[in-house]
Amino acid sequence: MKIVGIAACTSGIAHTYIAKEKIVRAAEELGFEAHIETQGTIGTEDEVTPEQIAEADVALIAADIKVGGKERFKGLPMVEVPTEAVIKAPKKLLQTIEAKVMKK
Amino acid sequence: MLKKLQLKKHALTAISYMLPLVVASGLLIAIGNLTGGYVIADYTKAYSVPAALTSLGVFGMGLLAPVISAAIAYSIADRPGIAPGLLIGCIAKEIGAGFLGGMLGGYIVGFFVLWLKNNLKVPKWAEGLMPMMIVPTIASIVVGLLMFFVIGVPIVWLTNALTNFLTGMQGSAKFVFGAIMGGMAAFDFGGPVNKVASLFADGLLLEGVQGPEAVKILASMVPPFGVTLSYALSKLTKRPKYNAEEEDNIKIAFPMGICMITEGVIPIAMNDLVKTVFSCTVGAAIGGGLSMMWGVESPVPSGGMFIVPAMNKPLQFCLALLIGSIITGLLLYILKKEPVEEKKNDAEEEDIDFSDIKIS
Repeated sequence: MKIVGIAACTSGIAHTYIAKEKIVRAAEELGFEAHIETQGTIGTEDEVTPEQIAEADVALIAADIKVGGKERFKGLPMVEVPTEAVIKAPKKLLQTIEAKVMKK
Repeated sequence: MLKKLQLKKHALTAISYMLPLVVASGLLIAIGNLTGGYVIADYTKAYSVPAALTSLGVFGMGLLAPVISAAIAYSIADRPGIAPGLLIGCIAKEIGAGFLGGMLGGYIVGFFVLWLKNNLKVPKWAEGLMPMMIVPTIASIVVGLLMFFVIGVPIVWLTNALTNFLTGMQGSAKFVFGAIMGGMAAFDFGGPVNKVASLFADGLLLEGVQGPEAVKILASMVPPFGVTLSYALSKLTKRPKYNAEEEDNIKIAFPMGICMITEGVIPIAMNDLVKTVFSCTVGAAIGGGLSMMWGVESPVPSGGMFIVPAMNKPLQFCLALLIGSIITGLLLYILKKEPVEEKKNDAEEEDIDFSDIKIS
C-alpha cells in the first residue's frame, strides 16, 4: 500500500514531526510506502509531489487543526485522524486502513 | 451534531495561528518596557527605539481578537472566512470583547460564510463575484451588525454594571475590594473583564489612588506564576499534570508573566478552561486582597517584576504575589488530572479502537 498525507498539530513545532516520523516508520515496518508532508508553524516541508499522489492508494491526514491543500488528494480514499491517534498506535492504524481500503 | 461541527479543531487552528503573534508581541512589549519604552501617543513628536518596540508589541496584542476570529472563520469556511473574520474580530477588540468575543465572532461568521457558500445560488455571470464580493460583503454586514448591536450590548451592560458595583464597594473592606479587583484582573487573562479592572485601576491612578494599580499588576502575574508553580510541583512529585505541548507553552508563559503579560496562559487555559480560570481567579483574588489590605501602592501602571522597586512597599507586594501564586499553583495541582500522554516505548502500542474510522 502506498500512502500520501499531511501531519499538522496546534503549536506546529513538535507533534507534527513526531506524527510524520511515526507514520513513516510504521509504514516501513509493515512494508508500505509513506510520503507525509508536515504543515508546521514554520510552513510546509517535504511537500508531497503530484507523482507520489498519483501512485498512492490512500491519503492520510493526521492533524488537530485545519490543513491546507486537501483538494490535491481528490479521488483518493481519505482518512482523517488526530495526531494523537498516529502517535499512540501507528501500526494498528495503518493495518486498519489497509484492511478497509484494499477491500474496496 | 456537536462532534460534526468540530468546534475544538477550529479553536486549535486559531491558537496555532495566534501563538507566534502573542509570543512576538509579548517579547516586544517586554524588551521595550525593560529599556524604558512606553506606548507612543503622539506620532508627530519625537520618540525613542524602546517606545517604538513597546508600541509595536501593543499593536500585536491588539491584533489578537481579529486573528483569532479570522483563523476560526478560516478553519470553518476556508479562504472566504478570512476577510469577514478579520473585520468581526476588529469589532470584538473595539467594543472590548477581547479574545472571548473574537472566538464567538469567529464561530458565528465562519458558519455564516459556510452557509452562504452552500446555499446562496447566483446566476452564472455572478459566480466570479461570489468569493470576491458577495460572500464577504454579506457576511460582514450581517454578522458585523449582529456583533455591534446584539452581542455588544450585554458586554457593554456587563461592563457598566461591574464598574458601578466596584465603585460602590470601594468604601467597604479593603480586602474585599482588592480581592474583587484581583479576581477580575485574572479572570479572563487579559480579556474584557481584566480590561474593566485594568481601566478602573488606571482611572483611579489618575485620581492619585495607587493601590488598585498594584493589585492589577499582581493579578496579571499570578496566573503565569501559578501555572508554572503547579508545573514545577508536578515535576517534583512526578505526578504529571500537563502534556508535552502544554509544558512548552508554560515555558513561554513564565517569562511573559515576569513582564506582566498574562496572555501566555491562554493556550493552557483553553485546554481546561474551568479549572484554570477558577484556580487563577482564586489565587489572584487572595493575593490582591492582601496587597490592598497591606496598603501596597504602585505609581506605574505596567512593567511586571521590573517596576516592583518603584512601589511603596515592594516586600509586601512580593509576599502577596507569592501567596497568590502558591494558592493558584496548589489549586491547579490538586484539581488537574493526569494528562493523556504518549507512550515513551515505541514498540508498544495502545489499544485504540479504529473500527469506526471513516474513509471518504
